[in-house]
Amino acid sequence: MTVPRTDSVDLTTPAASADPFAVFRALRESDPVHWSKAHRAWLITRYDDVSAAFQNKAFSNDRVRPVLERKRQAGAESAATGVLGLMTGWMVVNDPPVHTRLRKLAAGAFKGQRIAAMDAMITGIVDAHLDAFVRGSGPQDLISEVAYPLPATVIATMLGAPPEDRDRFREWSDELALVAFGTGGAARADRHERALRGLREMESYFHTLIEKRRTEPGEDMLSALMAEEGDDRLTDDELVGMCALLLFAGHETTTNSIANAVLALLRHPDQLDRLRRDPALIGPAVEELLRFDGPIKVLNRWVVAETEVRGRTIRPGERVHLVLASANRDPEKFAGPDTLDLGRSPNPHVAFGKGIHACIGAQLARMETRIAVARIVERLPGLALAEEPAWKDVLASRSMEKLVVTHT
Amino acid sequence: MRISVDPEVCEAHGQCSIVDMDLFPLDDDGYSAVGPDREVPEGEEDAAKLGVDACPVRALRILS
Repeated sequence: MTVPRTDSVDLTTPAASADPFAVFRALRESDPVHWSKAHRAWLITRYDDVSAAFQNKAFSNDRVRPVLERKRQAGAESAATGVLGLMTGWMVVNDPPVHTRLRKLAAGAFKGQRIAAMDAMITGIVDAHLDAFVRGSGPQDLISEVAYPLPATVIATMLGAPPEDRDRFREWSDELALVAFGTGGAARADRHERALRGLREMESYFHTLIEKRRTEPGEDMLSALMAEEGDDRLTDDELVGMCALLLFAGHETTTNSIANAVLALLRHPDQLDRLRRDPALIGPAVEELLRFDGPIKVLNRWVVAETEVRGRTIRPGERVHLVLASANRDPEKFAGPDTLDLGRSPNPHVAFGKGIHACIGAQLARMETRIAVARIVERLPGLALAEEPAWKDVLASRSMEKLVVTHT
Repeated sequence: MRISVDPEVCEAHGQCSIVDMDLFPLDDDGYSAVGPDREVPEGEEDAAKLGVDACPVRALRILS
């Protein structure tokens, strides 16, 4: 497959969603810095260019504010601007120095040892979900039964929310995802209104939780986020934003990491056998599964200064899409990139991004995925695909509708 | 315990800094600022090991 330079690639067609890797290969080979009319953005698909883009100061993360300002100038003060208003405070859509301060204040809560200490808690949650799955027979959806509820339950537990509130976390996460990832069709028309209703409820819930932690601090992540760092601390509104970001960024991505990992193993029975024979391989195995078919296809950047990438001039006001899923399959960086090799090492994939904005929850996501995949492989012998999965037609995430499997 | 980074190998993935940004500082471009020989404060050896292990290109190592 080749992509003529005049052609405009759309990554949200059903064909591109089902097999984006064929499109990425063609782009890397024939037009690695591609202007897509469909996305009104540059698609950057080679590893070296994606990697360099993470350090290029012409590419800004401050990408929600411009959209918000445009909407406000158009006099469209609405539910949409309410949602975007909350999101503009997130560290992930800010540049230094705002980003630096927030990241520093959040870092303590994500420290490696704190995450490592959650091993038993996460294993317990994984096993509780798998208990029900094991009892079921016939074809069952591993996403709706395990991979989807798991991360929201982990986040709710980490924040110290009572178990009976966990379902609400899932609903809020879905509403946030509607706005941030975007969907097509009927869901688009009222997505901001739906999200805003959920968000108002979520904000007041988190405010109440913060008040409670202030009088009764605990070992939970929210208490850690509330701690002072030097002479600075997060304000209550920033804490609410941080909780929302944690839920939004840590839910669907982790669901897809687990689901995509299981699918890749089912499609590569030799590698599944290898993992069953050698469970200690789970660490490098998860890195390889993240490289091979990770949860994020595309990260966005907003262009704030003229810059050049591979001979193409990119101008202020334009957008670039860093195609992580393509960089992770670049043969210039990875030998045999389309081969799943659970022992691959070193494995410098960019599934979590790179540099100052690299996913702060990477250690947590790794641990959840390692535990979930290891327990699924161990507890579901005879795991088999029951139907061909359908992929969601979305740009940013690599996401299946369902993963229907049988087990013995 | 002492740790070090090989600047020729570091690719600015930032994974060490996620484990502990005080033990594994980054420069403005996201590369490790650990330097050739950095002392790990007592009691933080486990965190240092986690951070060294988190490097996807093995640019970090424990010196002693």
